[in-house]
Amino acid sequence: MKKIEAIIKPFKLDEVKEALTKAGVQGLTVSEVKGFGRQKGHTELYRGAEYVVDFLPKVKIEVLLDDSDAARVVEVITSAARTGKIGDGKILVMPVDEVVRIRTGERDSAAV
Amino acid sequence: MSDCRSCRWLRFRVLPFVAALVFGTTLLGAFVPVCRADDEPKPDPAGVTTGDRSSVFDAGGTSFVVAEPSDKSAPDYAQKLKDYQEFQAQAAKEPLAMKLADGVGHVRLGTNFAWTLNTGYLVLFMQAGFALLTCGLIRKRNAAHLMMLNFAAYVFAFLAYWAVGFAFQFGAVAVNAAPLNLGGTPTLNSFLIGSGSWGWLGGKGFFLTGPAYDSGANVLTLFEVVFMETAGYIIVGAICERITFGAFLLCELFVGAILYPIFGCWVWGGGWLSQLGTSMNLGHGYVDFAGSTVVHAVGGFCAMALAVVLGPRLGKYGPDGKPRAFPAHNIPFVVTGTFILLFGWMGFNPGSTLGATDLRISVVAINTNLAAVAGAASAMLFWHLRFGKPDITMACNGMLAGLVAITAPCAFVNATSAVIIGILAGIVVCVGVLFNDNVLKIDDPCGAISVHGYGGLLGGISLGLFADGTYGAGWNGIGATSYLGTAGQGVTGLLYGDASQFMCQLIGASTSVLWAFGATFVVFRIVNGIRSMRPSVEDERDGLDVPQFGLLAYPDDELVTE
Repeated sequence: MKKIEAIIKPFKLDEVKEALTKAGVQGLTVSEVKGFGRQKGHTELYRGAEYVVDFLPKVKIEVLLDDSDAARVVEVITSAARTGKIGDGKILVMPVDEVVRIRTGERDSAAV
Repeated sequence: MSDCRSCRWLRFRVLPFVAALVFGTTLLGAFVPVCRADDEPKPDPAGVTTGDRSSVFDAGGTSFVVAEPSDKSAPDYAQKLKDYQEFQAQAAKEPLAMKLADGVGHVRLGTNFAWTLNTGYLVLFMQAGFALLTCGLIRKRNAAHLMMLNFAAYVFAFLAYWAVGFAFQFGAVAVNAAPLNLGGTPTLNSFLIGSGSWGWLGGKGFFLTGPAYDSGANVLTLFEVVFMETAGYIIVGAICERITFGAFLLCELFVGAILYPIFGCWVWGGGWLSQLGTSMNLGHGYVDFAGSTVVHAVGGFCAMALAVVLGPRLGKYGPDGKPRAFPAHNIPFVVTGTFILLFGWMGFNPGSTLGATDLRISVVAINTNLAAVAGAASAMLFWHLRFGKPDITMACNGMLAGLVAITAPCAFVNATSAVIIGILAGIVVCVGVLFNDNVLKIDDPCGAISVHGYGGLLGGISLGLFADGTYGAGWNGIGATSYLGTAGQGVTGLLYGDASQFMCQLIGASTSVLWAFGATFVVFRIVNGIRSMRPSVEDERDGLDVPQFGLLAYPDDELVTE
């Protein structure tokens, strides 16, 4: 089993969610996060004084998958979230040791 | 530890002091013996004798009742005596008409009471506008603290004004500046310090008892106390995010009891500034229609002195001395607050006629609005040209600066001048904010010093430039029959030919700055020397909501660190 974490631009959330649903993904977790990458923050002016916006708002999507689906889903997210401009985000794929569905106690693939 | 100390200070020193002051003064007020000489005018608490034939005037302000001439050496004495005798004869012949005139006079005052009270309620509502505006402009972590300051300002300054403020300001108003639209308040008739044209401090009406227990006087009190509250509010915008509650209460008592009423007496209570026309031949004396200087410059420069005494907020200036921005936390509050203030100003300025029977009110209302929109437009344009984008908080400050600046001249100028004054105010406030931030390095979180201080100063002076002479004949007892050789000529500015009025405006406006800044600075430098008015560094860094009042404005955010 794999977990995919995708950090994307907030306005791309709907497109990515639709693409994932079409690709057969049954569940995902979303959180609002802030951060910066190579694009860094930007400087703004308030009443004539400068302030730096270091951390830009992003959305983090977490999806749990069987190993065989991972490569395909990464493709799906990449194409749905891409604008081609700096700040599009990152996708991380990582192995998962164990999965438990709390309601039934099912484990691993049955619980994905 | 020091927050504990300031808590204890608040609990054991300041609150009992304030409570003792309030109760002590109440008792004093209730038991002060009412000593009244027999020839003293009697107050009219029930409002049944206020308003009779002597309150009837025609549209031009000529009294229905012809008074007996007293000055026998006057050249027109014979004519006046003849008019008087004719009136008496006519009155004896038509008692029913006299009775009707008594009714008309009573209704006339009733109209004016209703107008003045209702516009006063509009001014009261400005407190809500100020609360939203200032709260929106500061950081989230101090929002509950700021709301408590705004709330306590109304409460404690009101009590101070009730105890002594009103008497200091208007205790001698009947001497030189009787508000005829409200029946003249004849019982408020003596100075505590000074006399004649050189009054310094009013002396009747303490605790609103005795001579001030009068229906006409209480209309004046309601209208004027909300004006004082405006000055009391202004300071919050400049000192917020870094003052202890106890120190703030002292500031409010000072403004409500001393600072505001004394300057108010000089200009509106018949004091020396208003009488410079009579005593020094300077135009119509110092004229400030609704308080650009009396309310706003006094509040603004008091705020400036307090901001200097307190010093800037932690981290406002970097090690290199460059100002840092602490962005507003709620722009919808800022804009809603600004519009509430604009709405309240429709009471502030037109209400200052103290009567709906003065039909200039429509011109005043239009001028006020024009200056507001011109100020907002010029501030937006200025910011756009200077920094590439208009700033909504500066646009709001620009609208308020336009309002502040038109407050003194609103009754005396025409629409074109109102727009010019508004444009100037929008520029003044933008330059003022940058100047305070970068040159003087005075930290003013909400721009109160620029809006009310610099804007108010501009208002007082611009009256001396733009007053066009169409209104205010007989103002401060000058030129009732003719002025500058023209019958009915009112208050006239430099551009319309009266340089002495301009001089007088310069004197009055600078006096407001010197008094407000000077008195506040001296008093609170000493207070701050005895005990620091600032909360501890730890409290200020974490936000004052919890250390000072034990709760957050936005409790949902408790887990979120900023």
